[in-house]
Amino acid sequence: MYELFKNLGSWLTSGAQWSGSDGIAHRLAEHLQYSLLATLIAMAIGLPLGLLIGHTGKGAFLAINLASFGRALPTVGLVVLVFLASGLSMTPVYVSLVALAVPAIVTNTYAGMTAVDPDVKDAARGQGMRGHQVLFQVELPLALPLIMTGLRLALIQVVATATIAAYVSFGGLGRYVFDGLAQRDLVQVLGGAVLVAAVAVVLDLALSGLQRFLFRHRTA
Amino acid sequence: MNRRTLLGALAGAAVTVPALSACSSGITSLDSTGTTSGGGGSSKSGVTIGTANFTENQVLGYLYAAVLEAAGVKVTVRPNLGTREILIPALKGGDIDLLPEYQGALLHYLDPKATATEEGEMQNALAIALPAGLQILPYGMAEDSDAFVVTQETAKKYGLASLADLKKQNGKLVIGAAPEVKKRQVGVVGLKDVYGVEFKEFKSLDSSGPLVKGALKKGDVDVANLFTTDTDIQANDWVVLTDPKNLIPGQHVVPLIADRKADSTVRKALAELGNVLTTAQLTELNRQVDKDKKDPEDVANTYAKQHGLAR
Repeated sequence: MYELFKNLGSWLTSGAQWSGSDGIAHRLAEHLQYSLLATLIAMAIGLPLGLLIGHTGKGAFLAINLASFGRALPTVGLVVLVFLASGLSMTPVYVSLVALAVPAIVTNTYAGMTAVDPDVKDAARGQGMRGHQVLFQVELPLALPLIMTGLRLALIQVVATATIAAYVSFGGLGRYVFDGLAQRDLVQVLGGAVLVAAVAVVLDLALSGLQRFLFRHRTA
Repeated sequence: MNRRTLLGALAGAAVTVPALSACSSGITSLDSTGTTSGGGGSSKSGVTIGTANFTENQVLGYLYAAVLEAAGVKVTVRPNLGTREILIPALKGGDIDLLPEYQGALLHYLDPKATATEEGEMQNALAIALPAGLQILPYGMAEDSDAFVVTQETAKKYGLASLADLKKQNGKLVIGAAPEVKKRQVGVVGLKDVYGVEFKEFKSLDSSGPLVKGALKKGDVDVANLFTTDTDIQANDWVVLTDPKNLIPGQHVVPLIADRKADSTVRKALAELGNVLTTAQLTELNRQVDKDKKDPEDVANTYAKQHGLAR
């Protein structure tokens, strides 16, 4: 056990391991690229959807159930399915990562919107605000903390799952996990896993810091 | 086929040597040893067959069961036990007695540095590498080895028939395979060492699964690493590149058995099966289980009856 951690330490700190196209720096950049792009696409889909159903209250049952269904989809299965249809490209990876992230964003956005006090919305309308004004000037700011939580959740899930890019021959930190398993190189597997976990923790801390900074004037 | 039969006989003879020396350590056997018998065990109390966690191995396990039952041996099959890491200790520990194995893969498991690739050589190397108490019986005709496969179009376009032909297209072709193939001798490393082949790119996919086959079908990869008993090779009319320099180790099906059960009844029954079952037939049995969703036990029993190995 001690030997393993010693090897892991030297794997993570050796300069040679960090450079080159199979180096940690390059794999880390790939991993971040996949994760951030997938989360951005998921935001573009999930945010408007969550705001819309939260604001109108229509289609909530359908949307939330669809979202739960999306959560239950096995990501690897989805990758294989899309792969067989689209061939060897990044499409299967992005499709499944987006499918993973959208539910968290939709449900949290919707939850944030429904948590807004109806009296406050009534008061806003009573003051003569139009629907979009109520949405963007009242509901959205009040729902923002929960929406941010949804985004954090989605990003963490995506970062942890982006390892599947390596399953269909692409890069990212998953490369170390898959190659290490295949070559029975435990240090490499562990190194990849530790790096993925570290990226997830760092991103989560950064986002929670941002969240605290943005909402520093709120008491709740 | 001639070479194979001769080597099989030689290998069979070689195997009996360590088995015989094992007898001398005090086990008294009433078994009147014929030419096929060398071990000192007895199958009278019944034989438990274990199989690994993939279709073909289960089919083989049930085939073993069918021929042994026909020979009057009481058989229990414990299918789907897992990988070698589980099966070999179970065999040593006495939980199972018999296991369908593959020459090259078993040898690599027992001795990762082994260099033998030819059937007879491997049979000898296996006899040496096996732990005490276990032995292999003569190998069968059927073989499930690694294959490098191209589509008909690719074969025509580049004039490919053997692995040696790949060298003419150095730097042009993309290979798709499981991640380990990149660093394995039976893979990118050996293709370069033995045939001087260099690929444009290595695409890390799965092991003879939907990804690598999908990529080959769509032309995303030019060469794919599959197994010879993969039913999709025939179904898609793909071309298996020949291996004139014997890079790929033989993977003939070989029974791995505990000494305590290896009597002449068992040896004879399994040798008869080994002499009948061909690679094409085994591929067909796999297909019936995987594609037609038939029960592996039924498939095995039907085959054994059709070929006069069981009643």
